[in-house]
Amino acid sequence: MGRRLLCAAVMMTGFVVSACATMQVSSHVERGLDFSQYRTFDWGPPDKLPLSDPRLDRDRFFRDEVEGAIEKQMAARGFERSATSQTPDVRIHYHASINQRFDVREESNSANCDHDDVCPARVIEYEAGTLVVDIVDQRTDRLIWRGWAQGSVEGVLDNKGRLRRKIDEGVTRMFARLPRAQ
Amino acid sequence: MDRLTRIVSLATAALLALALSSCAPVRINSYLERGVDFQQYRTYAWGPADGLSTGDPRLDNNRFFSERVERAVNQQLVARGFEKRESGAADVLIHMHARINQRIESDAIDREYARCDVSDCRPFVYDAGTLLLDFIDTRTNQLAWRGWAEGSFDGAIDDQDWMEARIDDAVAKILARLPRDTSRSR
Repeated sequence: MGRRLLCAAVMMTGFVVSACATMQVSSHVERGLDFSQYRTFDWGPPDKLPLSDPRLDRDRFFRDEVEGAIEKQMAARGFERSATSQTPDVRIHYHASINQRFDVREESNSANCDHDDVCPARVIEYEAGTLVVDIVDQRTDRLIWRGWAQGSVEGVLDNKGRLRRKIDEGVTRMFARLPRAQ
Repeated sequence: MDRLTRIVSLATAALLALALSSCAPVRINSYLERGVDFQQYRTYAWGPADGLSTGDPRLDNNRFFSERVERAVNQQLVARGFEKRESGAADVLIHMHARINQRIESDAIDREYARCDVSDCRPFVYDAGTLLLDFIDTRTNQLAWRGWAEGSFDGAIDDQDWMEARIDDAVAKILARLPRDTSRSR
């Protein structure tokens, strides 16, 4: 019983903390792989998932921004875009999608909060955008790294300045997780 | 909030998130087709990927996830006396399917255990995961056995080490339900 009480307390507190929905960035990587063997990259064919949101799919601005941000990060890590006649060491492709997600948000109206400043919370629905970037070894055709950034796109899709900043933040933070080429 | 308070509260949040996983137990279930003698199966192969979406773009076409599941299944099956074959020459074909859904829980637990008042009874949302393993009899092309695990996968995708540990744990628990008399194997 004591453990259950603790669990209930943990759940309540844990989810209050997670309610501040900031951009989530992380990655998966092929372990033990020497990334210094890769020097050149190029864009690969898009993946087979037709799940991309049409608002992003046909948006030339969005694609230019994503590709520009990725190319900047790759260049900063010593990668070179391979010449068109040459075979690159790695190919990059990305996938953007928008999903309905739920979150718990606290009512900040202090009139409803109790003396310990605990405010009522409610479930809200929002649109989360996810950008997934895959790096594939050209020779083995195997995924060697995947990075992603996920966050609310409220007020972002129709605002080019905000969209550009979100893309830049997501791509910069995910590539900071890429194992370094020497 | 000053910086120290912020760091302490972030660390607390991380610890709580870890503790949380022990609160949401993994539910394991399985189903055996009537009349199937599972002891007859000795060899297995992996069926082609189903190509269905997992419901989470981070996991779709993600071999770091799918190959970890395969690895964990291979280890468990070899330990149970199965032999892996190339497809076409095996007694059973294995298919796996993973699905992530966001779930909303209301204050039921809080009400029951914590007797919270209105402002403390908080709803919460989390990523729930389902991992399903199907064993198809290659002669009859019928499902012979299905086992699955359901539970919170919240935060697991964003942490590769933790994700792998969760996969290993879930696969071990699912396959522990295989109707296999280990004294007869090998």
